[in-house]
Amino acid sequence: MPDFLGYGAIQTLNALSFSALLLLNGLGLSVVLSLMNFVNLTHGSFYLLGSYVAIFWLGTGAPWWLAFPAAFLSAGLAGALLERFPFRQFYARPHLMQVLLTYGLSLIFADLMRWGFGAQILTPDLPGLLQGVVFVFDMPFPIFRLFLIGAGAVLGLALWLLLDRTLWGAVLRAAVSDRGIVETLGIDTRRVFMLVLVLSAGLGGLSGALGAGMLAAYPGLDEEVLLLALVTVVVGGLGSFGGTVAGALVVGFALTFSKVWFPEFANFTAFAALMLLLMLRPSGLVTPPLRRL
Amino acid sequence: MNLPRPQQRIEEHGHASGDSGGVRITRRRALAGLGTATLLPALAAPALAQPRPLRIGMITSLSGPFTALGESMRAGMRLAIAQADDRFAGRPVELIVEDDQARPDDGVRKARKLIGQDKVDLLCGVISSGVALALRDVVTEARMPTFLLGSANDLARKAASPFILRPTKTNWMLGSTAARWSHEKHPGTRVITAASDYAAGREFVGDFAQTYQGLGGQIGRQFWTPLGTADFGPLLTAIAAERPESIYVFFAGSDAVRFLRQWKEYRLAGRIRLMGTGACFDQEDVLPAVGDAALGAVNTFHQSPTAPASAALVAAYRATGKPLPGEFSTTGYVCGQVLRAAAERTGGDPAADWARTRKVLFDASVETAFGAMPFDPRNGQAILDIHVNEVRASEGGLVNTVVHTFPQLRDPGPDA
Repeated sequence: MPDFLGYGAIQTLNALSFSALLLLNGLGLSVVLSLMNFVNLTHGSFYLLGSYVAIFWLGTGAPWWLAFPAAFLSAGLAGALLERFPFRQFYARPHLMQVLLTYGLSLIFADLMRWGFGAQILTPDLPGLLQGVVFVFDMPFPIFRLFLIGAGAVLGLALWLLLDRTLWGAVLRAAVSDRGIVETLGIDTRRVFMLVLVLSAGLGGLSGALGAGMLAAYPGLDEEVLLLALVTVVVGGLGSFGGTVAGALVVGFALTFSKVWFPEFANFTAFAALMLLLMLRPSGLVTPPLRRL
Repeated sequence: MNLPRPQQRIEEHGHASGDSGGVRITRRRALAGLGTATLLPALAAPALAQPRPLRIGMITSLSGPFTALGESMRAGMRLAIAQADDRFAGRPVELIVEDDQARPDDGVRKARKLIGQDKVDLLCGVISSGVALALRDVVTEARMPTFLLGSANDLARKAASPFILRPTKTNWMLGSTAARWSHEKHPGTRVITAASDYAAGREFVGDFAQTYQGLGGQIGRQFWTPLGTADFGPLLTAIAAERPESIYVFFAGSDAVRFLRQWKEYRLAGRIRLMGTGACFDQEDVLPAVGDAALGAVNTFHQSPTAPASAALVAAYRATGKPLPGEFSTTGYVCGQVLRAAAERTGGDPAADWARTRKVLFDASVETAFGAMPFDPRNGQAILDIHVNEVRASEGGLVNTVVHTFPQLRDPGPDA
């Protein structure tokens, strides 16, 4: 019986750690998508850039924990530059135009990163502190994964507080609802949007730094990660913070337990379940009250 | 990723128009001839003395999931050509590399382009067996001499073709030898398996299980995971709960890196005996990225940096600033060696009489970085030494170290 308990507990922790990664990754995408109504398919590139920055940072022997701010800042900087040109010119355009623009850019970034970082698979040298295990009912569970779960919870909470409980968050939400009115209050909405994009790209980079320990880094990972982020955001429901959290948990548990119960049909069962969910709730798990005009 | 890449040529020559060997008259050359008639013989003489280049088309994956492997294959081939001073049997070699993105339809399109538009003399390449099987009919229909490098068993069996030679392994060679080694070292052990759920994984594990059971061994639970699994935690927890003595695995590329790293993170390293196909522990692609997680694991492979036959390649490859060569840099290099032997044994024109080229390659084995390589005349499949590699630590990191060699393995071929 303790065997069974331990097995269940570890698989639940596995699911939670994967959900944490999905959450970190999905949050960056959903912030821009739900708050700015901008489809940013370069998000996977920010993730991969963050992974590479963190791996090279950890390879230099500098204090390991600084790898995460370094990844956040470099991806954020890339986001800031892209916001100036060409994202800003596309906010008012239809989604299809945004998709074409950002997908094209993501292909260019993929080639640039392959050129700059090489095509080989890279993995980070994790500090000894994160390499240990804890025993749950006699079953080992990696500390690094507990670290992921913790990071996901802390960052998620911080972002929720920032967007939902601060004046800055209120300004942002107001600017999305009615940009003109906010402008008449003397607030430069262009700066607000710029900051949101920096935050989103930075979160992408940060999740890349955290995820590198689990997923490694190689050309093509950007697309895989983007797909997972899109699934997370769509299942959770566009336009709400709680939705992304719910989406990350549902997708994480679905993908993990489908592997536990139906290993040979893991992807089929997981995505069939998610499809069914979307058919029952077409706008996702959490739908915010409609406020679009 | 999906952007078309410019084709890459090692040497550029005037456009020889197909087999006629004539030189296209360009406007510049015509003007030069008109203006200075006295110079005309001087211009024409070197063009006539220069033998027609040997055009080799290579199809490999330079984008998509096998990008790193494809780049290694191209680097190996280029090294083989560079070592021959860019000439095979006196003919300058022109290599045209095309990207198949690991997709059969793209591979077919690029093959048609190389055959129809570039008029290559010989075709070689591919990483993905899916692309290899798709190319089989195209090159057979076009009667195009091809050195095909995928490793699906069918390529040496029902998909064998008189126009195809295969200077590489089949999956059976690796799966069956791993079973023989396991049975020899630890008879009676129950072995569980875990592998990526696609054609190659099914073949490796199928051949392993069949051979192992044939020897009286016992196969336990078999786990399959989708290609491109992000998180191996659930699988590894399930494996730990099985408490097996031994496991046989096949993963490739990023899957292998994630599996091996997480294998250590979940403390399975050292507790369960780890065996696999060589690709899962590839010297160039996988081992540098997994730290010491693969230490002590055993794999069967036709390639090893410590095999005596590959010593010269290892030195030459490292001299170009690369790490220890893995499967695909060696495969690209060996393919170049076989092409060179084909050219040299036919007086520089291996494409002119393909039946004769096949015969001279079948008559005597070719010295390659995989060792002496005879071909099986039934299916054009190479007969290879298969090494048992143990992953050991050295100053430079982990190294696949040969601990045993199964000499001269011949795929059952049409008999299977």
